[in-house]
Amino acid sequence: MRRLIEVWRSTVFQKWVMAITGVMLGGFLLAHLAGNLLIFVGADDMNAYAVELRELLHGSAIWVMRAVLVISLVLHVRAGIVLAQRNRTASGGRYAVTSYQRSTLASRSMLLTGLLILSYVLYHLAHFTFGAIHTEYYHYIDSMGRHDVYRMVVESFRQPVITILYVVAVIVTGFHLQHAIASAFQTLGINHPRYSPSIKMGGTLLSILIVIGFISVPMAIIFGLVQ
Amino acid sequence: MNLRLHIWRQKEPGAQGMLKAYDVADVSEHMSFLEMLDVLNERLLENGEDPVAFEHDCREGICGTCGMVINGRPHGPEPKTTVCQLHMRSFHDGDSITIEPWRASAFPVVKDLVVDRSAFDRIVQKGGYISVNTGNAPDGNAIPVPKVNADLAMDAASCIGCGACVAACPNASAMLFTAAKIGHLHALPQGHAEKGARVYNMVLAMDDEGFGACTNHLECEAACPKGISSLFIAKLNTEFVITSLL
Repeated sequence: MRRLIEVWRSTVFQKWVMAITGVMLGGFLLAHLAGNLLIFVGADDMNAYAVELRELLHGSAIWVMRAVLVISLVLHVRAGIVLAQRNRTASGGRYAVTSYQRSTLASRSMLLTGLLILSYVLYHLAHFTFGAIHTEYYHYIDSMGRHDVYRMVVESFRQPVITILYVVAVIVTGFHLQHAIASAFQTLGINHPRYSPSIKMGGTLLSILIVIGFISVPMAIIFGLVQ
Repeated sequence: MNLRLHIWRQKEPGAQGMLKAYDVADVSEHMSFLEMLDVLNERLLENGEDPVAFEHDCREGICGTCGMVINGRPHGPEPKTTVCQLHMRSFHDGDSITIEPWRASAFPVVKDLVVDRSAFDRIVQKGGYISVNTGNAPDGNAIPVPKVNADLAMDAASCIGCGACVAACPNASAMLFTAAKIGHLHALPQGHAEKGARVYNMVLAMDDEGFGACTNHLECEAACPKGISSLFIAKLNTEFVITSLL
């Protein structure tokens, strides 16, 4: 038991926790993106998908997924804060002159971007999942008596404030992911002189694609491509 | 060439330090950086001032004793070069150069540019021994070692323990050092017997010394005078988690 506690507390293990929970959250983000893109298929498909998601395995699947996500999120944020505090103490006062060679603005601002994403996620859940804020868009029912997710999204994104916050949050997330993806590979021990440059490039490319994917929805609504 | 140096001066451990400006004239471009500091110290001594304390030994780039942060970069601007092998031709007439000690709470400043790096020694001590028979020298090829592994071990073993990785890391993490020390033994059959205990004890010792966690900035790799790859950190990550949980 003592050994397990020692292992859990070690920086290397906490980095693993960070990476694995990060992969879970990233996987969710991709699934979320796929769901969002249904808006381009049509209102019927999107609303049907929303019903399906809530009723999969008699409604238990969504709770299992939510539990996994909440645990991942808590562990991810906790590891981030604990390690950042430790690193601040360890660095022992910084230099009068700094000259970074390999680190990036993204890699040095992971805590900040992470906390920004966290606060946005809470706001986003309150809006679209719990219907606690912007309630005027939450109670639409479609012609088949289903919760009209499609209309909720379209009406919401016609509000400039909601769209601007969303676009900023997505870009911040892309920034976070740009370091996160390659970093997760390194932490999980996947580093090879032949493949690592491609992994790094691939991570950046994937981050950009995710940003474009998410932003395409409000853009399509604003420019009237999705009515 | 004429230079203006801004050097960190600190009388003793825990004392308040500050950057102090010195002008050094007629510096030859063929001097090493340490020789340039020697010239400054000669002059300080002649004037009855306290010379700048810095560590150095072989001045051949192989002992790992010297080290200082020059304009924000450990060992200065040249890649894969220790500060003793850095020459003044890397600078220009009229340059302003800021010289600071390694900054990490695990490396407390002793005086001026000298820091206490014994935390590294304690990490290495925790690595323990390797099981080899003593007595007669073993036959050269009694234990087959594939060329790839021998090269990998040699790459890791080129670590001179100077601490530039810690100094360069925004988190003051000692992962590259620890990973290199673990990596060179684990690439060879001789290092395998105590592999699990070694990686476990060394990582815990590293944490106990108060070094930061690796967040994959990879500044260490850029600063390492021996060009040690972050590949060893990736290996360490996997080995620690697998061996410590099994």
